[in-house]
Amino acid sequence: MGSNLRRSRGQTFSVAVLILLAAAMLNMWLMLAMDYRQNFDRCHDRLHGEHVTLAMDSEPGEVRSFLTDVLEEEPEVTEYYMDDALCMVGNFAYNGGEVNTEFVILEKDAALERPIGRVEIVEEGDGETGVYLPMLYKTGDIAVGRLIELKIGSNTVNYPVSGFFNSVMAGSHNCGMCELLLTRDLYEELEERGYAPKATLLSVRLAHGGSSAEYEADLKSKVSEGFPYSRVISNSYAMVSTSRYISQMICSGIVSAMAFFVLLIALVVIASNIGNHIQENMRNLGALKAVGYTSRQLVLSLLVQFLGISLAAAVLGTGLSYLLFPSINAMMISQTGIPYEMGFLPLPCVLSFGILGTAVALAVWLSSRRIRKIDPILALRQGIETHNFRQNHVPLDKTGLSLNLALALKNTLSGVRQNVTVCVTMLVLSLVVVFSGLMVENMIADIRPFLYMVVGETADSCVNVNVGIEEAFLGEMESEPDVEKIYLYNTVNVRHAEGMDLMAMLCDDFSQVNNQDVCIQGRFPRYDNEVAIAAKYAGEKELEIGEEIRLTVGEREERYIITGFTQISNNLGRDCLLTREGYEKLGELQNLSYYLVLREGADLEDFHERVRQNFAGNVNTTLDIQSIIGGTASVYVSLMKIIVCAVLFLSVIIIAFVLFLLVRTMLGRKKHDYGILKALGFTTGQLIVQTALSFMPAMILSTAAGLVVCSLVINPLVALFLNGIGIVKCTFTVPVGFVAAAGAGLVLLAFGIACLLSLRIRKITPCDLLKGESF
Amino acid sequence: MKKILLKTESLSKSFSSGGVLQHVLKNIDLELYEGDFTVIMGASGAGKSTLLYALSGMDTPTLGRITFGGEVISDYNPDELAVFRRRHCGFVFQQIYLIDGMSLMDNVLAAGLLVNKDRKALAERAGELFRAVNIPEETWHKFPTQISGGEAQRAGIVRGLINSPEILYADEPTGALNSRTGLQVLDTLTEFNRRGQSVVMVTHDMRSARRGNRILYLKDGVILGECSLGAYEHGDVKRHEKLSAFLTEMGW
Repeated sequence: MGSNLRRSRGQTFSVAVLILLAAAMLNMWLMLAMDYRQNFDRCHDRLHGEHVTLAMDSEPGEVRSFLTDVLEEEPEVTEYYMDDALCMVGNFAYNGGEVNTEFVILEKDAALERPIGRVEIVEEGDGETGVYLPMLYKTGDIAVGRLIELKIGSNTVNYPVSGFFNSVMAGSHNCGMCELLLTRDLYEELEERGYAPKATLLSVRLAHGGSSAEYEADLKSKVSEGFPYSRVISNSYAMVSTSRYISQMICSGIVSAMAFFVLLIALVVIASNIGNHIQENMRNLGALKAVGYTSRQLVLSLLVQFLGISLAAAVLGTGLSYLLFPSINAMMISQTGIPYEMGFLPLPCVLSFGILGTAVALAVWLSSRRIRKIDPILALRQGIETHNFRQNHVPLDKTGLSLNLALALKNTLSGVRQNVTVCVTMLVLSLVVVFSGLMVENMIADIRPFLYMVVGETADSCVNVNVGIEEAFLGEMESEPDVEKIYLYNTVNVRHAEGMDLMAMLCDDFSQVNNQDVCIQGRFPRYDNEVAIAAKYAGEKELEIGEEIRLTVGEREERYIITGFTQISNNLGRDCLLTREGYEKLGELQNLSYYLVLREGADLEDFHERVRQNFAGNVNTTLDIQSIIGGTASVYVSLMKIIVCAVLFLSVIIIAFVLFLLVRTMLGRKKHDYGILKALGFTTGQLIVQTALSFMPAMILSTAAGLVVCSLVINPLVALFLNGIGIVKCTFTVPVGFVAAAGAGLVLLAFGIACLLSLRIRKITPCDLLKGESF
Repeated sequence: MKKILLKTESLSKSFSSGGVLQHVLKNIDLELYEGDFTVIMGASGAGKSTLLYALSGMDTPTLGRITFGGEVISDYNPDELAVFRRRHCGFVFQQIYLIDGMSLMDNVLAAGLLVNKDRKALAERAGELFRAVNIPEETWHKFPTQISGGEAQRAGIVRGLINSPEILYADEPTGALNSRTGLQVLDTLTEFNRRGQSVVMVTHDMRSARRGNRILYLKDGVILGECSLGAYEHGDVKRHEKLSAFLTEMGW
């Protein structure tokens, strides 16, 4: 049996390119999913990382004895270590915005020698004095030898950057705390200045890392009970490993979706290719059957051809994935903060080959079943064409369409396989277009919708004041001309009695908050016995609106009715909303965070300065919220820009190759008809337009249907992708204009590509037909 | 005096095959007249079909001029030639070349709508032509693969005539047909010629050649001789003898 692939090199090339792209993305996805996150565990093992970290700013002697007692009682704890630290909220400029986090400042040599949760220096300068920052913050502006301005509480210090380090549990702003290392001289100086209170940093290793979140909540609860007036910050292996890999999760999800979409298109193309092959070679296949070939042998020969080309393309695709992976790593390192050393990964390779091989084999086997039905005598006599008494679509004497359009429509209606291939391709690409539109509208052009979903509440400024000056502070703010709106938005920890620690957002009146979309079902709490709880957490604990739950702070416990479900991914879906009165039944607030919306044109720096001066000693922090968000959001925006560009570029490549294959197949099949039409007086231009137009009905209909359907399902799909970070309902606006324009652009692009590919019609001359050349 | 439809001057056509230049047509000067049934005869390889393609604008000559209605068509580009063919020429092919995916009516209208946008008038003319070539109405919407070879070739003639071309070119129109259906096709062509249709037919079959009133004999790329037979009459024995004598003289 002659090789189908050898005879149709163009089709082989298209199939090979599609399989190559699918293999590259499949392998990339498997590398991301199977190994990239393992890098965190490898780093965790290498640095003998802890499973729970806790820092508290009480007198070390008393605290440590208390902690020792608590830890010794817990059989799950295998190792623990405590040492000195300085702990304070602080910030510094980063990535066009600023990082605002809990600084846990350690003496460098002590940090390097910690038996648990030690740090490793990645880069170091010659300077003998300075600060070491987590690797994540190494940017153009923050480099060894340069000065960095750190705001520690309300004080500012300037240190030379001496180097960068890896810290698995506190090496990033998304760990809940951020370690900074100071050389001994600077550490002692800072300790002496008292900018940051002395604290104890506790690192705990557990027998089972999987229970880290539960143990963290338990430990924190005990510590809060024992030291109710201490400031306690903590994190767990579960929280850190998830939050440092959000971008990996997003990227991996998108790459896997694209891989399967491209594979699906490749399979449809293979099925279409085999269908055409059988139809066009009916006589040959009949002849082979007549001389004794079995159907199984004929199917097997197709299987060998397609598997051969697929595996060859898969090898190249896998190689391509290794070439592209460093770029993907570079995109994500700004969030993971842990350098990834790439090596050859056999398992993703084997799995990629296995998935591709199985899918291709299945597609070949299913689409070649028709070979079994070939009757050798019938096939030899006439082939299949003469048995196919088709309907005369678009009769020219009855239609009102123009000749070119009518002939194009005839082609469309007689090419089922062509239409199926176009429809599958365009449906898939519609999803890509809608997704891109969604990301452009809600992230790239205006990041507020994304931030509202992820961060929860945003404002211009946050001022944290001691509770004693609340009245004076509010009075002052009322007369402050720059302030448009001010409302309490405090964050405290509470514990769900039947579950876990939750981050509680407190507000006097939730109708004041800017982001009313936080509550995705039900309503915000209004009374002191009401709570709105994270939808993801509620789902995990099977909690319903109207149900009563018990919340505890220390030994105090109160019952609250769930009035609504919320969605804020900052705490990975473990949060709740309480009214201030509601919380005060459980505990007292020591300091209060007020969110402020300033009038247009107000100078935030000036405003903060005035507040600090007016309430000297009672203002704990003043935050530029937009700047903080800008610093971290830019990571997502950059990532999404690259992803959107990549998927749109990929879409163009896919359209080009699918059309290349379809047009080549059509030209091969209809060369004879084109020769006749040219002899009758059709010009090359008319035939090119006819050919390109014949793809348009399926393309327009499937694109329109795809865009409508995808616009309806895209939000639930995105929510599914982001479920891991606490998103259960996505309410992004679908940009109808962008989607419609991009859809129209896609169709026009397809028309243009089809016209370009059809230029080969120029080479068909009526003379070839008359000379009886082989068509 | 007959009106000249088409004129060639020093028409030459050469092909390069395996690096060797073959001169298939050599300096042919020819005039085709309105109302004639011109037959081009010659042995295989004489250049008959090449001459037909050149005259009909299917192919371009290597040298020389072809003039049609005062226009030098030998200078036309492929698209201009396509427009020329659709407006002025009709074609009947040996292999029929109807498009399998279209009904007979659509095959005819696909050619007709290139020139005439009046769909209704065109469908009526197609109906008249179908009836004239004895293709019943129930067959008009059948596909080419569902009818006999004779019916298909007659449908091919209808397609060739749908635009009322100045010249109907027929390349071995009976070559793929059996004797009886071949005769029907020749009768059809003769009948249309009798009604005033100019026909140029290439054949190497004497029975077919007898239908022409003007016989050109082509040998080695040149017109070796020409014979005038007058209007065709069925059973005219002298006509056959005259043609035989001419062909014998030409070395047939």
